[in-house]
Amino acid sequence: MNKVIGICNLHNEPHLGELTKNRPLAAVTFLGRYGIIDFTLSNFSNSYIDKVYVLVKKGIVAIRRHIGSGAIWNRNTKLGHIDLVLNEKGLSNKPFNTDINNIKEGLDLDLVDFEYAVIAPSYMLSSMDYRPIIEAHINSGAQVTAVYQHIENADKEFLRCDKYKFDAAGNITSVKKNIGRSPIADISLDTFIINKKLLKRIINDSTKISQLYSIQDMINFYIEEELVKVNSYKYEGFVVPILSLEGYVNNSLSLLNYHTRNRLFIEDWPIYTTTHNTPPALYGKDADVQNSFIANGAVIKGKVTNSIISREVLVEKGAEVNNCIIFTKTVVGRDVKINRVVSDKRVVIVNTKKLSGTEDEFIVLSQGAKL
Amino acid sequence: MPSKNKVVAMILAGGKGTRLKSLTKKTAKPAVSFAAKYRIIDFPLSNCANTGINVVGVLMQYESTFLDSYIGNGKKWGLNGVHCLVSTLAPRQTEEGANWYKGTADAITQNIDFLDAADPEFVVILSGDHIYKTSYTEMINLHEKSGADATISVIEVDPKEASRFGIMVTDEDDNIIQFQEKPKKPISNLASMGVYVFTWKTLRAYLKKDDKDPNSEHDFGKNIIPSMLADKKKLKAYRFKGYWRDVGTLASLHEANMDIALDKMELNLYDEDRTNRIYTEDVCSVPQYVGKKGLITRSIANQGAIILGHVDSSVISTGVMIETDACLTRCVVMEGAKVKRGAKVHNAIIAPNSVIEENSEINLGKDEIVLIDNGKK
Repeated sequence: MNKVIGICNLHNEPHLGELTKNRPLAAVTFLGRYGIIDFTLSNFSNSYIDKVYVLVKKGIVAIRRHIGSGAIWNRNTKLGHIDLVLNEKGLSNKPFNTDINNIKEGLDLDLVDFEYAVIAPSYMLSSMDYRPIIEAHINSGAQVTAVYQHIENADKEFLRCDKYKFDAAGNITSVKKNIGRSPIADISLDTFIINKKLLKRIINDSTKISQLYSIQDMINFYIEEELVKVNSYKYEGFVVPILSLEGYVNNSLSLLNYHTRNRLFIEDWPIYTTTHNTPPALYGKDADVQNSFIANGAVIKGKVTNSIISREVLVEKGAEVNNCIIFTKTVVGRDVKINRVVSDKRVVIVNTKKLSGTEDEFIVLSQGAKL
Repeated sequence: MPSKNKVVAMILAGGKGTRLKSLTKKTAKPAVSFAAKYRIIDFPLSNCANTGINVVGVLMQYESTFLDSYIGNGKKWGLNGVHCLVSTLAPRQTEEGANWYKGTADAITQNIDFLDAADPEFVVILSGDHIYKTSYTEMINLHEKSGADATISVIEVDPKEASRFGIMVTDEDDNIIQFQEKPKKPISNLASMGVYVFTWKTLRAYLKKDDKDPNSEHDFGKNIIPSMLADKKKLKAYRFKGYWRDVGTLASLHEANMDIALDKMELNLYDEDRTNRIYTEDVCSVPQYVGKKGLITRSIANQGAIILGHVDSSVISTGVMIETDACLTRCVVMEGAKVKRGAKVHNAIIAPNSVIEENSEINLGKDEIVLIDNGKK
């Protein structure tokens, strides 16, 4: 077994407006019961990568609360660990709060025993087995392999992501931003397998090239300047990108479809998450639920359609919830009718009886709001 | 052994549970599923955790393997903290030979070493198959303050039902003056819940004495309590208020499940301040989904359930699949069971991993509870 560590990189997360105002994207609720970060952490675990570092940019309390001791993901709690790495200096100097500076300040690579690192972001949700990718990486002889996906809807999805071009041997020859001009593209999943030596070189080189560069910027720089051979790996599995509020909402709701859901949640690939000791969902005598996810602890007495209901949400009698994503402990009061609303945690909607967003613009209710 | 704990709990979980039929064929009764998410023993174990009792012995005998691995180190109930010890105690071979537990009291007698090592002041004896949510603090305090040798938790039952229970007769200060085991003519309606607090020193002496008595059945209700009463020991009744059920039969198991599904709120798993929460195993599963033609009313359902058909007044556990046009009323569907397209079932307990075939009609219009059990054991 090769010595592999996992690095979950939270430095380059997209913003989801109100939802990421007080927490990193990694800690945002997904499908009513997961945190966004659960997918990457579970992929590490299922790929037998037990030594994991999470590069936290900000909001370490939310991440810490979610991950706890990490024992949920560790195969062996003595051998495995999930360490949170934070660049405290970076907090007061935002432009310099990069993944590279975080490693430089918080993670002495010389003290970590590994040959390869898998660097993965939180926001590309998948059930990705890193093992065949690591194997392909080793066989290629390259020092770094970038994981990408061939897609045919690049004019709508994966906007602002890197897109690659390759030579005949599969080495990346150019990197551009996907600005949605053509539907067909090979899109970077911002996931890399990298040799220890190169990772150390990136840390060193960045001080000379640009101290504001991220690991990904450095790899792109190497490609552009033809300094390092960057191998590519085409990932054929399903990926749900969370790149914007709109993408979060639409992609979450698209998973209500059974077939779409079965592409993300595959057999023998559990996605672990923290437990909250909530009782099963309770349905009242007038409950009327269709095409929805309902999390434990939810109490449903009204009507719910095409929606995602998180833990301990209360939908009162006569209430109607359509096309909504409702976070933990929110109350939808008696006869309140909401449509196309994303409600953050602990919102209480009692007095406003009707609230309706549009397909293009959901209404977002911030944490703890009273309506 | 952790540092000194004043109170140790011993949970009796060794019974065979024959009245639950094939549900307990390969599983001890305390490990039987309950309320879509839990196992019965989660209730006494969570109650111990919420009381702050950190040392718990679980006495097991019948089909102990699964129960033993379920209990593990007590982590599911948070009982793996500092000063915590959860120990599963099955009969074992000793210098004197090998013995099964001959009765509830004998199970404790055979584990006197465990209790001696813990050296508690009080021992709480609990049953592994009761559904209730409580903290034992008040009862332990009553025991300590009154200076009783034993305190027995009692609940008022319907006088007509009283002959099914061990009945306590008390004076005006709730001192127990008489005990009737399943009496034909009960003179009180205070039934023993099988929940006791003993002063360990006193109990230890009575266990030793009982052990030597060849005519004893080595049972708390039949032998230890009557013997203490005969010796004029101080026995106190603690009046329990709230929801409490013994789920020893298919009918009572079904009924207790219905109490939660129909939101009678007596057990109150959904209280807002969430005191005395019930903890259980965290099973990894996909989110619970209700389909486009699904309908679920007056029910509870756990994560991982997929409901595409119609469900009313039922309990739907993890990983259960209810296919389109299936129709369930008053059913307790245990983990991993599958109800296929068009099947109609009424008043049933559907055992783990069982499959109800397409368009089958089971128990429709009947009042008695039927058990469907064709899953892989």
